[in-house]
Amino acid sequence: MIMSLTILFDTHCDLCRRIVIWLESQPKYVEMLFVPAASDEARHRFPQFDHDATLRDLHVVSHRGDVYRGAKAWLMCLWAMRDYREWSLRLATPELMPLARRVIAKVSSNRFRFAGYRSPLQRESLDLREAH
Amino acid sequence: MDYLVITYFVYLAISMALTAWAGRTLFANGKAFLIDVFHGNDSLADSVNHLLVVGFYLVNLGYISLALQLGYQVTSLQGLIEALSSKIGVVLLVLGGMHFGNLYVFSRIRRRAIMPLAAPPVLPDGCTMVREA
Repeated sequence: MIMSLTILFDTHCDLCRRIVIWLESQPKYVEMLFVPAASDEARHRFPQFDHDATLRDLHVVSHRGDVYRGAKAWLMCLWAMRDYREWSLRLATPELMPLARRVIAKVSSNRFRFAGYRSPLQRESLDLREAH
Repeated sequence: MDYLVITYFVYLAISMALTAWAGRTLFANGKAFLIDVFHGNDSLADSVNHLLVVGFYLVNLGYISLALQLGYQVTSLQGLIEALSSKIGVVLLVLGGMHFGNLYVFSRIRRRAIMPLAAPPVLPDGCTMVREA
């Protein structure tokens, strides 16, 4: 039985921060903890973890250490909420999962365009390109 | 008394009897279902069951009464049977629709009740060590 989920979210992304605020306000079945991705707290809690990957995709970790990435992480967030658990189960069916995956990948890769921010990784690569 | 009035009376009698039959079926068979949903809370199950059935009766009787008027004259026994048959056919379809609607409500209530126990929708991608904060 999963007791709590830790959500590693990208603090550089406006959309993500807004979603986190919304998630915090929702009634839940399991506790949700929000930790900035690749932060000291995240590194302390999950020492054996690829923290750079958490800046690319949403990651959710259960209290037992189960790791959910990308679309699965989003479905786990839905599953944790009282009003949306049914949706998470519906979206996880073989018929809808590919669609969910596509939509989530699209939103996730365009999240900075929605809000006009760049991720630290993107900024880094831009800086490098400019330096050359 | 002409054929039209007889049609009306027979129509009312048959449709009300059908509504009563469907309502009773719903009431009798919905109970077990609701008791399960409300974790054996009999009085709550009874109350919800009753409320659903009252809604069912109201909508159906309302429809029957609205659909009473035939709009044309009936002059023979053949016309009477035809008019009656088409009227009752529509009433049966409405009853069927309402009945399935009620079943849908029952299944929704039940699904909501079992949601807290539902397992996660997806398997984890991996496993990692967790240190307490």
